[in-house]
Amino acid sequence: MAAQVVAREAPNRPMVPISYYLLLAAALFCMGMFGVMVRRNALVIFMCVELMLNAANLTFLAFARMHGDSVGHVSAFFVIAVAAAEAAIGLAIVIAVFRSRGSVLVEDIRTMKH
Amino acid sequence: MILPNLTLADFLPLIPAIILVVGACILLLSEVFLGAHASRSYQAVLTVVAAVAAGAMAVANMFEPAHEVFLGFGVLDPFSSFLTFVVCVGLGLAALSSVSFLRKRGAERGEFYALMLFAAAGMSLLALSNELITLFVNLEVLSIATYALTSYLRRGTRPSEAGFKYFILGAFSSAVLLYGAALLYGATGSTKLTDMVGPLSSALATQPALVYAGLILLGSGFAFKVAAVPFHMWTPDVYEGAPTPVTALMSAGVKAAAFAALVRVFLTLGKGIDPHLPLVLFSTLAFLTMVVGNLLAIPQRNVKRMLAYSSIAHAGYLLVGVAALFVTAPGEQFRLLGPSELTGGSPVELARSQALRGILFYLLAYTFSAVGAFTLVSVLERREDEEKGTAWDLERFSGLAQRRPGWAVAMAAFMLSLGGIPPTIGFMSKLLIFQSAVDSGLIGLAIIGVLSSAAGVYYYLRVVVYMFMRPVPEGALTLERSWSTELALVLSTAAVLVFGILPGPITAWLQQASSIFGQ
Repeated sequence: MAAQVVAREAPNRPMVPISYYLLLAAALFCMGMFGVMVRRNALVIFMCVELMLNAANLTFLAFARMHGDSVGHVSAFFVIAVAAAEAAIGLAIVIAVFRSRGSVLVEDIRTMKH
Repeated sequence: MILPNLTLADFLPLIPAIILVVGACILLLSEVFLGAHASRSYQAVLTVVAAVAAGAMAVANMFEPAHEVFLGFGVLDPFSSFLTFVVCVGLGLAALSSVSFLRKRGAERGEFYALMLFAAAGMSLLALSNELITLFVNLEVLSIATYALTSYLRRGTRPSEAGFKYFILGAFSSAVLLYGAALLYGATGSTKLTDMVGPLSSALATQPALVYAGLILLGSGFAFKVAAVPFHMWTPDVYEGAPTPVTALMSAGVKAAAFAALVRVFLTLGKGIDPHLPLVLFSTLAFLTMVVGNLLAIPQRNVKRMLAYSSIAHAGYLLVGVAALFVTAPGEQFRLLGPSELTGGSPVELARSQALRGILFYLLAYTFSAVGAFTLVSVLERREDEEKGTAWDLERFSGLAQRRPGWAVAMAAFMLSLGGIPPTIGFMSKLLIFQSAVDSGLIGLAIIGVLSSAAGVYYYLRVVVYMFMRPVPEGALTLERSWSTELALVLSTAAVLVFGILPGPITAWLQQASSIFGQ
């Protein structure tokens, strides 16, 4: 088992550096954050939040690889489970919004005054 | 497979949460066997019994010495046990006020109380989490339950709107917090707070950007949860749209649990970094939150919305206490004092341990006053007016003193307590917080706190003026009484007044409770 792992990571085969994964994750996180702020459709906003969670997952995994421990992997599993629970409740709320207004656009979800 | 070596003692801090979860499961399962018209009055009783039992267990846990449990993933310390007790108080009072609220709307269901219990279990576990992923999962347990509770009355437009806003911003803030946790894991190689302290100071030298980004993201995530300005936008809409007992639970429990996690994370990590960073961060947040929260509350005629802005302002006063925790004398090693050494120590150290006591006392005081005030708001509102938005207008309180003198006196006590006027518990708690701020040298912040709470007195007293000095309006609603609401009001009024006059038992108790693990 250990021998196989070593063989796969032989030095003559270049590995993707950890920093690339971190940059990708940071880019995904920023895209998600930007999306939550500018998009108008509730479902797209919701997808952007999921994107942010997955960016955090990717960061955990990249760092787990760097540190060579399993904490990051375990964390990613917990985050996936939590994201699934959040998706269930979030979609239920979006359905409730759609039933009461017939629309899931953010500008229609504004009855309370500021 | 290597199993961790757990002992029964590891489960001791979980007992309150286990009681709450078992209560929730009983409610969910029993609901299945009930017909549409079966009596559901046992559900609130069961919730209150679970809250009382869990609170009693939390009090029993408070006399255990602070130690780590579950291999360092959690801690058992008086600090977390006290916060569990505060959460149970909020849960019990909110459950009592839900009975007639739900009955009037024909919405009595086991799920409602079960969700409340799940949320409270999450809060209790959040207070004792000592590892970032455990903390994140518990934060989500309580958040997901409160998202569902917010949009529980899903037929109206307001609850679904409030639920939607709460969900999007809550999930957003959780993602920000998680990303911060991931960056800190990268910098330190661990997610256990206790293990992070050592590597954090060396990581600060090699990769300062990573550490600072992680800490700031973590701090912003918490700022969203405690509704600190500039992360407060969701609060008024969510508090207004949610069913009033749920708003009560949110203002008391969610805030207490989020403050517990914030204090624990930053106090522990503060030993690995320069405590100046959290001091600046929390002082700025406290300043903005106190000023903006109070200013926005002044023009509100909608009492429920006014209480939402006032809860933002109260988060600001609490943040003054949090900022006072990070004041250090030059060249001093950063730590808090244990309960045994309270007589010694430098003035700054004494001020710090007093600030921690102040935060805990404030959370308890705010729970009694805010839950009581929301209970009274809930008995005056009517389902039909909600869509028009007049259900919580100040006019509803006109002449209340003539129609229900008891309720008017209770509401006056809550308002005085929220405004920080003696002889109420709110005064004592503000006194403790501001005194510790002055002792630790944050005099500017204390002055701004006192001035902004003086501005706050205006909108609290306006409610009292309407109740006692305005005539009863034409066509006022009939006010129904119910034993459970009256009980909640009597209990919270008694606590507000008795502990306001005799704070001795609680402050003595807090000498014990203010010891936090690892400090």
